[in-house]
Amino acid sequence: MISDIVNVIFCLGNCVLLVNLRRMRLEKCWFCSSTVYPGHGVSFLLLHVFKGYITLLLLKIFHFCRSKCHKNFKMKRNPRKVKWTKAYSRLHRKDMTQDSTFEFERKRNRPERYDRNLAENTLKAIKKIDKIRSDRASDHIKNRLKTGKVQRQKEARKQLELGIHLVKAPLALAQDSSLCLPKIKVNVSQAQTEENQPMEE
Amino acid sequence: MVQNNFKKITVVPNGKDFIDIIISRTQRQTPTVVHKGYAISRLRHSFALMISNPFYGDLLHVLYNKDHYKLALGQINTARNLISKIAKDYVKLLKYGDLLCRCKSLKVAALGRMCTIRQHMARLPSIDPNTRTMLICGYPNVGKSSFMNKITRADVDVQPYAFTTKYQVIDTPGILDRPFEDRNIIEMCSITALAHLRAAVLFFLDISGSCGYSISQQAALFQSIKSLFMNKPLIIVCNKTDLQPLDGISEADRKLVMEMKGGEPTNEEGVLLIMSTLTEDGVIAVKNAACERLLNQRVELKMKSKKINDCLNRFRVALPKPRDQKERPACIPQAVLETKAKQAAEKEKRKTEKDLEDENGGAGVYSASLRKNYILSNDEWKEDIMPEILDGHNVYDFIDPDILLRLEELEHEEDLSPEEQEALAEIRKKKSLLIQQHRMKKSTAESRPVVPRKFDTDRKFTTERMGRQLSSLGLDPSLAINRARSKSRGRKRERSVDRRDGDDGDAMDIDDNQASKKLRLRSTSRSRSRSRPPSEVVPGEGLKDSAQKVKTIKLAKKSVLKRNKNARRGEADRVIPTLKPKHLFSGKRSIGKTQRQ
Repeated sequence: MISDIVNVIFCLGNCVLLVNLRRMRLEKCWFCSSTVYPGHGVSFLLLHVFKGYITLLLLKIFHFCRSKCHKNFKMKRNPRKVKWTKAYSRLHRKDMTQDSTFEFERKRNRPERYDRNLAENTLKAIKKIDKIRSDRASDHIKNRLKTGKVQRQKEARKQLELGIHLVKAPLALAQDSSLCLPKIKVNVSQAQTEENQPMEE
Repeated sequence: MVQNNFKKITVVPNGKDFIDIIISRTQRQTPTVVHKGYAISRLRHSFALMISNPFYGDLLHVLYNKDHYKLALGQINTARNLISKIAKDYVKLLKYGDLLCRCKSLKVAALGRMCTIRQHMARLPSIDPNTRTMLICGYPNVGKSSFMNKITRADVDVQPYAFTTKYQVIDTPGILDRPFEDRNIIEMCSITALAHLRAAVLFFLDISGSCGYSISQQAALFQSIKSLFMNKPLIIVCNKTDLQPLDGISEADRKLVMEMKGGEPTNEEGVLLIMSTLTEDGVIAVKNAACERLLNQRVELKMKSKKINDCLNRFRVALPKPRDQKERPACIPQAVLETKAKQAAEKEKRKTEKDLEDENGGAGVYSASLRKNYILSNDEWKEDIMPEILDGHNVYDFIDPDILLRLEELEHEEDLSPEEQEALAEIRKKKSLLIQQHRMKKSTAESRPVVPRKFDTDRKFTTERMGRQLSSLGLDPSLAINRARSKSRGRKRERSVDRRDGDDGDAMDIDDNQASKKLRLRSTSRSRSRSRPPSEVVPGEGLKDSAQKVKTIKLAKKSVLKRNKNARRGEADRVIPTLKPKHLFSGKRSIGKTQRQ
């Protein structure tokens, strides 16, 4: 991690850094948890600087996908309280939090010797795992919203029953007991249809 | 006694070496404890001793400028204090280090600070009087520095540098490039001190004259400096032979050169070597010659000294006495010679990466293949490019030797796929059929005769049927069919066969036709009355009530049961299908005689 850093630009005690990595890696935005692709965003390095000497101790790296997240961070906002972030949604159980599919993706610090078969299998597996994970996540959300739907339907039905008198006369209701709008009857006289009256200009 | 003193004085390490020493020491200990300096007190002590002796004091002064030395030692002391302070700070910080890497980075930081302190100080002199030295002298622009560069591969500044094979090379710009006339006393002192060093002397001569000094001037310089080099192995190096070969110089010049070479009676051979620092030929030869000469000289010196006599007394080389004039050279087996030759050839032939680079267009054009020496299970994979990013994920995060296994487990958690659901539906269907069959069988089992399957009256159990069933299960039936056919043909006597090996499908088959046929045989009418339960009393039957009817039916069934089981058509059926069944009339008895069966 530390050996990845190449350039450091000092700026008023904060370090805004261009991280030049030996290997490409997609990072997660610290604020909104979206992926930061290489070449995008800003990374903030929290360093401990020893007095008087140019020695630094790297404490934490923050990645930001865009200036919105970066500015929010500078305003010292807590992402867990900011509605549009993933941190919030996970905390408030809007999104799936625990699942076996999350176990597959883990940052490994020990590199493995290259094996073509393993690589192939991994690439195929990633697709499958992705599909399963997204299916489960959408199911989770669907289930979460299902109760709301049911409730809304119940309410709608009730409202329909209670309020039908506003749009339908009780007499009409007696004739046609379905909870629908009354059918408007229009009398069309025969005489009119037979005569072909010339149109008045 | 004096000799001892000199040897005891450890070399004050160069700034860089200092750091290296400390760092290597700290590396060995974990958790890291920062060591202080380098037995500075010892150095000081020996230094003090030395100064007291006037001769050596002078020498030291000249060699090192004792004030300078003192200063240097003093600076080391302050360095030591500063370092200990830093160490204390960092040790305090280490307490808060939660990770090993943080401790290590702290250590690195600490050492870095110490290094910077070190760098702020003046460099220490580091001529070791005891190691073998090479003194390079000659006019400026002759190529002394470039020679130094070539053999030490370091940038030459001002001071001498130690190089790898325990030799010191001392470059002498400003000191030995002018005749002695125009020098002041201090310079003279320093020069004479250099004379005290046990060194080989390399005098550089510019053959081509491009340095700005003619050969005669250089020769004059040599003659004047000559006095310094008594008893020292001398090598005259003619540089810049690419511009002017040695043979091409004028007669007078050549004479001068020869004079230089042959002019010392004290030295064995004033060796004359040619080289060119530009084309690099001869540089290694010069270095080797100088080293050799120096080594020889030292050996001789050692031999001459008294000490060696003591040693010599202790050993004796014993040689076998020659018996006759026959020569008996050393016997080296052929295999060894061959391998030696092969190794030598290999060494010569071995291509370095640098050669490869030069061949393919030089540094900017060719980039070395770093993957060449990868150790992989299969060498075909060396040039594989592995993708690092896929669909917004880092591929390296997913790599796991048993990823397939875990993926399988994961998929098991999920719902069945449509194919799997199809199969499940089929299974359920077949199972229900089996149950149906079984129930039918059970209900009629009591009264139905168990006719063995070989009496296949409906000709149902054919090989085609078997083939169809096997293929529906997913097997290839041809083998089984062939076997069945061959077996059936093989038997002449009876057509009963083991046709049904591995044909479990048959048992599961729907016996619908057979069952329905039997049912039809047994039932007489197909009128609607059959839809009524059999225990119901229908008017006109002659029975009192349902209970009686039930009883009657039971009686009837009971009487018919045994006959049905024996496949008898009626009461009077006494047919014996086979009068002499083979299984009863053949075979050995386990006990008794087989005269009659």
